[in-house]
Amino acid sequence: MTALYVMALLVPVAFLSGWFGARRAVAHRSGMRVSEFSSDYFRGLNYLLNEEQDKAIEVFLRLAEYNRDTVETHLALGNLFRRRGEVDRAIRLHQHLVSRPGLTDAMKTVALLELGEDYMRAGLLDRAEALFSDLVAMDAHAPSALRHLVAIYQHERDWHKAIDHARRLEAMTGESEAPMIAQFYCELADRARQHGARAEAREHLQQAFQCQPDCVRAYMLTGRLHAEAGEHVEAAEAYEAAVAADVAFVPEILPPLLDSYARTGQMARAERFLRDILTRYHGISPVLALAHLYEQRDGERTAVEFLTSQLRQRPSVRGLMALIDATMDKVEGEARENFLILRDLTRKLLEGQAMYRCSRCGFGAKAHHWQCPSCKSWGTIRPIHGVANE
Amino acid sequence: MRLLALLILLLSIGAGVVVGALNADLVGYDLAFAQVQWPKGAALLVALVFGWLLGGLTAWLGTRLGHRRARRRARRAESGNGTSAGP
Repeated sequence: MTALYVMALLVPVAFLSGWFGARRAVAHRSGMRVSEFSSDYFRGLNYLLNEEQDKAIEVFLRLAEYNRDTVETHLALGNLFRRRGEVDRAIRLHQHLVSRPGLTDAMKTVALLELGEDYMRAGLLDRAEALFSDLVAMDAHAPSALRHLVAIYQHERDWHKAIDHARRLEAMTGESEAPMIAQFYCELADRARQHGARAEAREHLQQAFQCQPDCVRAYMLTGRLHAEAGEHVEAAEAYEAAVAADVAFVPEILPPLLDSYARTGQMARAERFLRDILTRYHGISPVLALAHLYEQRDGERTAVEFLTSQLRQRPSVRGLMALIDATMDKVEGEARENFLILRDLTRKLLEGQAMYRCSRCGFGAKAHHWQCPSCKSWGTIRPIHGVANE
Repeated sequence: MRLLALLILLLSIGAGVVVGALNADLVGYDLAFAQVQWPKGAALLVALVFGWLLGGLTAWLGTRLGHRRARRRARRAESGNGTSAGP
């Protein structure tokens, strides 16, 4: 009988030990799964940060296999494919996501936005435009969709639609897009000017000034319109206003401005203006312009003296080349040969140099662009200030 | 740690063999539908194993049902968020 009592007592003890053991085993197993999942995730993230996209794709593909419900993993994968240039794979993945039943509306719109970006990257702008327009109509991710639509219309040079969508974006986000819209109006004005429609061009320039009162490009276009109409006094005023708006564009503005001064015989005003610019602008362009002016008015000796004194304050390869050109006639024999070698050397040095750089993405260019060819920002390309540049 | 667990296991087996040898006499059980006679040690072992398995099964079932309930609740919450955030 005693044995039976002992057994009856031992059964609950065994039950409890079994219960604890099983709990611990289950917790251990799920912990292992979680840690395996998260270690894979962090490994993928690490690869991404190290720009090892191939390995990141491998890890994320395995993660997507683990859990087919993880939409975010699929989105990350699609993004990676697109960044690597495998646009067709990205499109297939995002199309698959969009068509998946049971996906929440929020996730579906995210997938649609990604698909639109894939189409943009693949150059299928009409499909991308349709998708982004749908998203704007649905009011889902509208700011991003509007930004992409503005980019598409810029690419297609449909400036009216670009302005319309940029204004909608402005109203939606509350952030000013005025400088960009002013550039769009400038594009319209330039197009009208090329077609000889001066009145229309002036109207667009007025709109550009309404968006951005200190728009340098609009001032420069106004000057150009006046110069083409033979109104050189007004042209010079417009160019001066452009310099006042942003002194960084002096190398672009000086040639047409000096031309307008010359045509109206206002060389004293030109000298005053250039002297004033010298105090505010530290590039070489106004020095060269002023040296040229002195050469024509007072002779070569004054020009060389001025150039030499200025080169001590602001050393420049372009200035040195101008000095060599100016003094070349005065030297003979071996010294002349040496001067010729030096001139060729400086010319070759300048040939390979980028004169402008985008202040946003660092893109280097030899000619000035109003829109950066690399990052597509407006008005960010400026002259490089350095010994071998401006 | 592993060595200690191995030592305890060996001791337990040894104790089981000794207790089994010392209690080799039969005990009778009336299970209503059948009457069985087992050695005392074997009966004790069966009772312990039965209790241990029952405890494990209960814990495993409890955890599994709990997880399933939590997953269902999360899915319901996600679909609720999705419809409210959608266009």
